[in-house]
Amino acid sequence: MAGILITLVILLPWLGALAVWVARNSHPKMQHWLAVVFSVLAAIVSVLLLGSASAEPAIRIPLSNAFGVLTFVPDGLGVTLTAIAAVIGSLAVIFSTEYMRGDQQLGRYYFLVLFFIGAMTGLVLSGNLLFTFFFWEITALCSYGLISFYNDDPKAVAGGIKALIITQVGGVGLLAGTLVAFSTLGSFQISDLLANSATLPSASLALIAFSFLIAAAAKSAQFPFHSWLPDAMEAPSPVSALIHAATMVNAGIYLLARFYPAFESVPGWRMSVMLVGMISAIISALSALIAADLKRVLAYSTVSQLGYMVYAIGAGSVLASQYHLLNHAFFKALLFLAAGSVIHSVGTRDLRRMGGLGRKMPFVRNVFIIGALALAGVPILNGFWSKELILEVSFENSPVWFHILILAGAGLTAFYTLRIIWLVFFGEERDALHYHPAGSAMKLSLGILAVGTFITWLFFGGLSELLSTTLPYSGIEYESTANLVVSILSAPATWLTLGIVALGFAISWVRARGYRLFGGGWLMPLVATSFGFDSLNQWIVQTVNGWGEDLRATQTGQLNWNILGIFSGLLVVLFILWLGVK
Amino acid sequence: MNIMDFSGLIAIPLISSPIVYLAGRLGSHDVTLHRRSYLVRVLALLAVLISWFPFVVSVQDFLTKGTMEFHVETIWMRMDGISLLMAGTVLLLGTLVILFSGSYMSEEVGEEKYYAMLLAMMGLMIGLVTAADLFNMWVWFEGMAISSYLLVAFYREQPASIEAGMKYLVQSATGSVLVLIGISMVLAQAGTLNMSEIAKAVTNPGVNRIALLGAGALFMIGFGVKVALVPLHTWLPDAHSQAPSGISAMLSGVVIEIGLVAMLRALSVLTGSALSWGLLFMIFGAVNMLFGNLLALRQTVVKRMLAYSSLSHIGYMLVGLGVAMYSGIALGAQGAFFHLFNHMLMKGLAFLAVGALMYGLFLQNNSHASLKIKDLAGAAQKYPLAALSLSIAVLALGGMPPLAGFMSKWQIFESGFQTQNNWIIALMIFMALNSVLSLGYYAPLVNMMYRKQPSQQVCCGKPMTWTISLPLVLMTGVVVLLGFLPGLMNWLTVPASQQFMSMFGY
Repeated sequence: MAGILITLVILLPWLGALAVWVARNSHPKMQHWLAVVFSVLAAIVSVLLLGSASAEPAIRIPLSNAFGVLTFVPDGLGVTLTAIAAVIGSLAVIFSTEYMRGDQQLGRYYFLVLFFIGAMTGLVLSGNLLFTFFFWEITALCSYGLISFYNDDPKAVAGGIKALIITQVGGVGLLAGTLVAFSTLGSFQISDLLANSATLPSASLALIAFSFLIAAAAKSAQFPFHSWLPDAMEAPSPVSALIHAATMVNAGIYLLARFYPAFESVPGWRMSVMLVGMISAIISALSALIAADLKRVLAYSTVSQLGYMVYAIGAGSVLASQYHLLNHAFFKALLFLAAGSVIHSVGTRDLRRMGGLGRKMPFVRNVFIIGALALAGVPILNGFWSKELILEVSFENSPVWFHILILAGAGLTAFYTLRIIWLVFFGEERDALHYHPAGSAMKLSLGILAVGTFITWLFFGGLSELLSTTLPYSGIEYESTANLVVSILSAPATWLTLGIVALGFAISWVRARGYRLFGGGWLMPLVATSFGFDSLNQWIVQTVNGWGEDLRATQTGQLNWNILGIFSGLLVVLFILWLGVK
Repeated sequence: MNIMDFSGLIAIPLISSPIVYLAGRLGSHDVTLHRRSYLVRVLALLAVLISWFPFVVSVQDFLTKGTMEFHVETIWMRMDGISLLMAGTVLLLGTLVILFSGSYMSEEVGEEKYYAMLLAMMGLMIGLVTAADLFNMWVWFEGMAISSYLLVAFYREQPASIEAGMKYLVQSATGSVLVLIGISMVLAQAGTLNMSEIAKAVTNPGVNRIALLGAGALFMIGFGVKVALVPLHTWLPDAHSQAPSGISAMLSGVVIEIGLVAMLRALSVLTGSALSWGLLFMIFGAVNMLFGNLLALRQTVVKRMLAYSSLSHIGYMLVGLGVAMYSGIALGAQGAFFHLFNHMLMKGLAFLAVGALMYGLFLQNNSHASLKIKDLAGAAQKYPLAALSLSIAVLALGGMPPLAGFMSKWQIFESGFQTQNNWIIALMIFMALNSVLSLGYYAPLVNMMYRKQPSQQVCCGKPMTWTISLPLVLMTGVVVLLGFLPGLMNWLTVPASQQFMSMFGY
């Protein structure tokens, strides 16, 4: 049963991708319908799959020796991430039917979106590291295609290639880790690595652990690879929702959560993971304070929230991290799609030109506020519970100053959340923007996500049961939702956090009254260069291009030089051979 | 000794070559030019299709009997795992290129020479890979080189193609002379030219090892010119970009790889001289990857960019073979041979798709201009098939799943990590980073074709024909299929790697 469901959940989106492509761009209506039908079917299958979770592989296909055995394992981690990818993905597709109406080349758009969703489910369900890498690379390819979908715009092209190259460099980490594991274990099975991690030579295990950390950081846009995600904002808004909530960036968190039991004993690994998460959480929250582009603020907030998830894994709680991932998926998709309807409606992403839009689009305003308050961690929305759980874990398991910084991050989040609500929906209109209302497809997606933002925290008990019963190596203990509520509400740390969140709101409110929400002083140059890492990226790109340019001089086009090349090659070979003889 | 069936693989293309030529030149005067050109095309296609029969028979014989050999006087011919793989590769690409050229070369002056030379080149290449003695192999090698010069300089009215042909001729000839000197040095030491006998003779105590090492260096550099090892590669970008597209596909897809096989055969006889050539292969591989990718990065002409990317792909193959030679891991050779086959498909497809676009944009408008990357803006709207197949080809070359190039690169990576040698692992990471670098020029090409604002050239483009589309569809299909089912090629790559390992004494 689980085998059939897994096959369906990967192949339905891929078949849909082919169907949309076959339908051709001359039938846009048909393409919209096909995309919706296939993605919704995949979402239904993914929810059914939650009921068939187990720790045993549901599919086993032996391949030739270089590729191992292809397995798919419907364990708790895999099925929850599959459900998130397929459900949020299908809502983004439904939203797209309205957002993308009238756009050219819908075939390419839906092909990539559906291919992306299928690849993400394959990635989290694969029990074979080679195929994890296989699907990992497909998600990179799809995100590239979607980020630069508007490819007549040089900014979109640049954002796409940046995302592709940075995540591919991270992919090299996954490749190296996988092959080091294979060369010592002789197997690509994830379960073999988890079961035998203690028997591996410690140098190999450390190499695998840190290679995977690089891969995860690049994929989830964590420090020091955080600079690609804000530039990926050139994508159509539903794609941003897809990348930020349903697919791409979750893959990095998945990788860390999956291998945490194997790597936790590696010296320095947990500390490094916590550092990566904390630095990402803080610097991107600082960036969100002053960004003047609606989608960029949300992008920074994604990096920041992913930082919390990474931090939680480093602090030892895979459960807290997955819980936050689930909740984040809903409120972040809600925020991006709501932002998408604002952008679709007024035709700009520039916060300086918005303002006072709440009166014109009350529905979008309301759902956006719900999502934003969840992001800020206001009770009883879903973001509150998972963020408190992470902070509780942090309070127990990490150095004090880490905890202080991560708490400060919560205050910063509250500040920029209120700032963005204010700038978009309240205050006076700063520009006479042409406006048209959101339609029913958009409202349907937004409504479902808003409801999700209210209720997904109730799934905590189910999530912890799934993870505790089907992940034999992780040692996660079952805890009911009621227990969680009691423990969070009774912890003094919770009230401290709420105080800090309130303080963030208050400062934001004061500044909003005084219209001091732009500018940024000393932060400005840091944010503009992604804390120096954008400049580093540019330097690398320019240097490599410079080498390419300089090397062109070696192609003289003159035969004399060409023949000299042949003879100098001969001399080099003779010299090396001579060294060998000596 | 009876002549084996596989000689048909060599004989049919070689015999049909003059027939095709004569059919184009002779014939009664009342036959119009158009109908005569049609006859030439059909005959060429027929010849290559007939060649598939001896291939199928050879495969059956090989699978039942293993390596086969025969000799005429002192000329030895042998069909082993490597020959079988290479013969299949040559035949497959040759068939598709002849089909493709039907429209592409139609009405060109000297069309009959084109097909005659192409068929001859195929026969000579298959002869080369089955040759079992050194001098005989050199003769086939020269024959292949001569036929390919004429094809590179086919557009004889174009100064640039004459120049490219000239450089190719002079550089290859330099390499050939070095090889010939190397062969004479081996003959002087071993007293025989049969490869399996040399391999035994060089282990005798009486031979001069230094002379054999010198001969090895001469083989490496002499054949290395054809393989385009950096810094012997300078002929390649000109030749690949100036030749007709079908020939670019042949040059990049099989000719340079045939040179590689010739180098392997020649070096294998010197294994007994107790030095691992694997180290040199890995060094040249690393240099080729880096130079190829960096040079490709700044190119504006599509075919030149693809030509430079061939350098880096030769680098991947060299690394795979080098790992196998150095540490005896057969998977490295298997991956390298799989990559060789995939490279034929991917680069062949890329050049044919570029050719298809050039046919639509330039040739039918009577222009022989070179296709720039910016000319391709918006090409996907008018030529969806050619744009899609070029995209798939370059993404496969860049090693993206689920395409063929990912799987063969993976096997090479895997073999490198299996050595558990830190230097080789570092080389593998270098290779992976090179793959990422290559996306820096492949991805923008794909992007350009899917723009909405078409370039001026695309606006005046003319339609395609089915003989151009069919090879693109077939090759695209196989590139995707092998990405999902890489095991499909094991029946060819495993015997080839076994043969390779036994040649190098494992």
